[in-house]
Amino acid sequence: MDISRKWLSDYVTLNCDDAYLCDKLTMAGIEVEKVENTSTIPAGVVTAKILSREPHPGSDHLSVCKVTDGSEELQIVCGAPNCDAGKIVPLAKIGTVFQTAEGEFKIKKSKLRGVESFGMMCSESELGISDNHDGLMILPEDTVLGKPLTDFFPGDTRIELEITPNRPDCLSMWGVARDVSCLLSTPAQLPEITAPECSSKIADLVTVEDQELCPRYIGQVIKNVKIGPSPAWIQERLESVGLRPINNVVDVTNFVMLELGQPLHAFDRNRLAGNRVVVRRAKAGEKITLLDGKVIELAEKHLVIADAEKPMALAGVMGGEFSGVNDDTTEILLESAVFKSSHIRSTSRELGVSTDASYRYERGVDFDMAELAAKRACQLILATAGGELACAPMEITGTRPAEPVIQCRFEKIRTLIGTAVTNERIVDILQKLHLKVENITAADCTVTAPLFRLDLTREADLAEEVARIDGLDKIPAIPVTGKICHPDSEDAYAPLRMLRDEIIGMGFDECVHYSIVSSASALADSRFEKSDLIELSNPLSPDNGWMRPGLLGEMLGTVGRNFARGNRNLRLFELDKAFCKNPAKFPEERNELLIVMTGCRHPELFSADGEAKCDFYDIKGVVETLLEKFAIRNFRMTAPATPDGRCREGHALTLYLEGKEAGIFGELNPKLSTSWRGGSAVFFAQIDVTALLNAAGRVEKSCKPLAQFPATSRDIAFTAPDSLTHGEVIDFIRKCKAPNFESVRLFDIFVDDTLKKAHQKSMAYSLTFRNRERTLTDTEVNAAMDKLRSRLASELKIELR
Amino acid sequence: MNEIIEAVNRAAADAESKAAAAVDTAALEALRIEYLGRNGLFPELSRKMGSVPPEQRKDTGCAFNTGRNRIQQALDAAAARLGTGSKTAENAIDLTLPGRRNKAGHRHPITQLADECVSVFRRMGFVAVDGPEIEDIYHNFDALNTPDDHPSRDPKDTFYFPDGRILRSQTSPVQIRVMETHEPPVRIVAPGRVFRRDTPDATHGMNFHQIEGLSIDKNLSMADLKSVLQTFAWEMFGKDVKIRLRPHFFPFTEPSVEYDFSCVVCGGKGCNVCKNSGYIEIAGAGMVDPNVLKNVGYDPEIWSGYAFGLGLERLAMLRYRIPDLRFLYDNDVRFLEQF
Repeated sequence: MDISRKWLSDYVTLNCDDAYLCDKLTMAGIEVEKVENTSTIPAGVVTAKILSREPHPGSDHLSVCKVTDGSEELQIVCGAPNCDAGKIVPLAKIGTVFQTAEGEFKIKKSKLRGVESFGMMCSESELGISDNHDGLMILPEDTVLGKPLTDFFPGDTRIELEITPNRPDCLSMWGVARDVSCLLSTPAQLPEITAPECSSKIADLVTVEDQELCPRYIGQVIKNVKIGPSPAWIQERLESVGLRPINNVVDVTNFVMLELGQPLHAFDRNRLAGNRVVVRRAKAGEKITLLDGKVIELAEKHLVIADAEKPMALAGVMGGEFSGVNDDTTEILLESAVFKSSHIRSTSRELGVSTDASYRYERGVDFDMAELAAKRACQLILATAGGELACAPMEITGTRPAEPVIQCRFEKIRTLIGTAVTNERIVDILQKLHLKVENITAADCTVTAPLFRLDLTREADLAEEVARIDGLDKIPAIPVTGKICHPDSEDAYAPLRMLRDEIIGMGFDECVHYSIVSSASALADSRFEKSDLIELSNPLSPDNGWMRPGLLGEMLGTVGRNFARGNRNLRLFELDKAFCKNPAKFPEERNELLIVMTGCRHPELFSADGEAKCDFYDIKGVVETLLEKFAIRNFRMTAPATPDGRCREGHALTLYLEGKEAGIFGELNPKLSTSWRGGSAVFFAQIDVTALLNAAGRVEKSCKPLAQFPATSRDIAFTAPDSLTHGEVIDFIRKCKAPNFESVRLFDIFVDDTLKKAHQKSMAYSLTFRNRERTLTDTEVNAAMDKLRSRLASELKIELR
Repeated sequence: MNEIIEAVNRAAADAESKAAAAVDTAALEALRIEYLGRNGLFPELSRKMGSVPPEQRKDTGCAFNTGRNRIQQALDAAAARLGTGSKTAENAIDLTLPGRRNKAGHRHPITQLADECVSVFRRMGFVAVDGPEIEDIYHNFDALNTPDDHPSRDPKDTFYFPDGRILRSQTSPVQIRVMETHEPPVRIVAPGRVFRRDTPDATHGMNFHQIEGLSIDKNLSMADLKSVLQTFAWEMFGKDVKIRLRPHFFPFTEPSVEYDFSCVVCGGKGCNVCKNSGYIEIAGAGMVDPNVLKNVGYDPEIWSGYAFGLGLERLAMLRYRIPDLRFLYDNDVRFLEQF
């Protein structure tokens, strides 16, 4: 809401500058969003006296004047007819910048027809004070020289406030003035509000059929009004907060709403069928054309102000097209009413119509203000549009809401705020905020909040009032004390952080994607079908309405995007939640880990190593490293039982943790990358995080003594059929249980053209032997080795080399 | 002392000063040949060792070795000074080639901020907890004292599912879930993803990340809250950062405040980041509303507490001067590798 300093000072003395006022308001919870000085007088315009006037030698309408601002004498060439010696006038000195419709205009030293001029004397229109451009603005004779003109014509300050939803009482000048009065300790005063008495009555002027939605309605009739422009002071007030003046009656209703916070509506009574209003629910099928031209199909839930026949206004929101005041109006029915806030809110939201009135109604207006506002409007309409009150105001009022009574324990207030604010100060603050404080004892008091402060119902609410007025800067910072509440083992965040750290440690960059995705992205992960997806009811756009079931879809987008931008070497991962509707597949929310790598394995290396591309064994290594880091022993990797749509066939392994499927890794199915430009084969791993963390650390680590005696190693090389796997070889070697055998390591595998033709490959292994009690002799190692070689040769169909 | 020792010491001193004065590697090589070369001074002195009386041999040998080491060190130092080590030596390598290393990985800025926040609060005794992102209305709104017709419940602002549940619009429901299952005192932080129905632009996204804090104990006051936020500000942005509490309104806290940091860009002098106010709004906080305590079965006469929440994207954008929120969700490696 916008307020104007000038307008505000009609109700409260402002003994401070704008900056102080704004700081006070912000620090009291009425946040100042913007401050704007509306003065049109540029800085640099000062008061000055004309000392002499001579005719210009080269012109018959210019004069050459000597002017002083009290400290220096300047020569000014002036074209105004009234630049007479002795006059005190505004002087724009060199450097003053005027903002004009054509842009900036800067006063410079200049020569006019050969005579130098050191500034410009100004008319009222040049200063934006009025339209008068007949001559220089003449200031009173006793004006002090050399003062900025803005000291005499300060302009106004427009302040934009953010009013929180709990403070509808601040949606008016008077409401803000009440708080300001408390903040500045200066008195606040409403102008005198009087209206003539009238004893006659108009039967059935107002009928309220739904008192729940309209607990209070005051209608009054003013006849013989003359519609015309409102007086300058009302126009100025309205314009100062950005409202456009319309006519005297409408301007008064707006003025009173802004002054007191009570929305008003003026009906042209002669246009009301039956010359009366009925507050009722709309009938099915009824329609109304609003002031803004919008046609609304009404339903029974909507509250309307109708005449004897049809709806004339959408109650509390907007008047109908033909209900309002126009130039020919002579008799008005002025409405000052209270409507149920939740009803106005839902109507306004449902129909997409929001007005200054609905904004106030939906936040809640002061039940008690309706009467005063009606009186104020009557007073101002009679003063500005003439006419007379035709009848006594007709008021239909239901039960007045109860004022909340709050028990206020001083100690409780202090405990909540954390300051030593005294009982007296608490009482003082509450009273200054117009709360009724009674039964004050050393321990507590009874507080009654007025109806404009319905947000105050509990002690905590009073604590907030005390805190914000006393000043939050008074609250000390007390270092944290108290029990550590939960053991660290409950910390849900630590293991995820550890997992991230390990993957980042392997050179991967972390990604974060949106969790709401398109169905195409969701279904790129072949584990899922449409019925597994959780769909939003109200997505932002129809093709972006699903919770991602896995992290693959969005990551593929990221890989493709990076390729398109020339980023070819990628090591990326994401660890976040995935969502599934099918409990047979996954829980509704689970954490998933997705790792991708593509391009050069070590692009940072300068030798040929830098050119080598990632392959299947790189992603396998990443998975193996993770298993080792998390001390997971109970795992198994096997080729997928049925081809997995995410993977290139024969280039993937399914990961089992503790006997259960927990992920997959390998080369991405090339079908998923057909739309990409550039890039090389992509390898990925997808792992269920819960399974990984559950399996982690099951093995208790305990220190084993280091072997004291040296190991002996022997190499073995052979050619084997293509189909023989490394896994089969080492399984076989281990099964042989050669005496003193410790470990086996593959150190070479190679295929040349000859071998290839024969469907053979060459493999070379290094075996280590060790005894923990003594040094082994060559003889016994050789014997063990010989036996092993012959078993390998005979049982694995290999040819020893 | 004999003449060999004297000759060694003199030669060492000479060589040191010559080496220090050498202007190129050729001069160094000449020095090496003069003193240490096959026909140089030291081999010659070594041949004279036989003439030394036996009782002096140990000392002479010692002096000989020390002298030779001094010269070698002087030559090495001079070589290093001349820049390239011994370029002429057979085993020279190019010291300017890049180191052989593994590519470094990078934490996403949002996670980085979340990690830092969790660490800071953990040091103050807060435990990090998690909650579901698909939430029910009760935990996200009702239990948090949100009025039935509060605008945030509107399907224009919050994502709904056909079964009436929603995507949580804040991390605050985690507060409720923790209090429902734990007896007080509690002291938790909950980092996580939250969802608002905003079209993505430079400052909005369909989802963003928050971190929520909650502490419930006996006699907690706004002074405790202020201290926690002050410590947080110091740990995140340094000891010069001041915080300012401003009264505000949230349904789930009373009194409610917004807290501002003195501008981390201009230090409070005023700049375009803080819109010349000197302060940057970081987030909301307050004393837990008695209605919220009652909703989880805590007696507000016995227990009180504070809660706070802040947006991690905003913090990351401030910390790293990220101009557009969409960068955070675009995942271009050239962006990711900056953090």
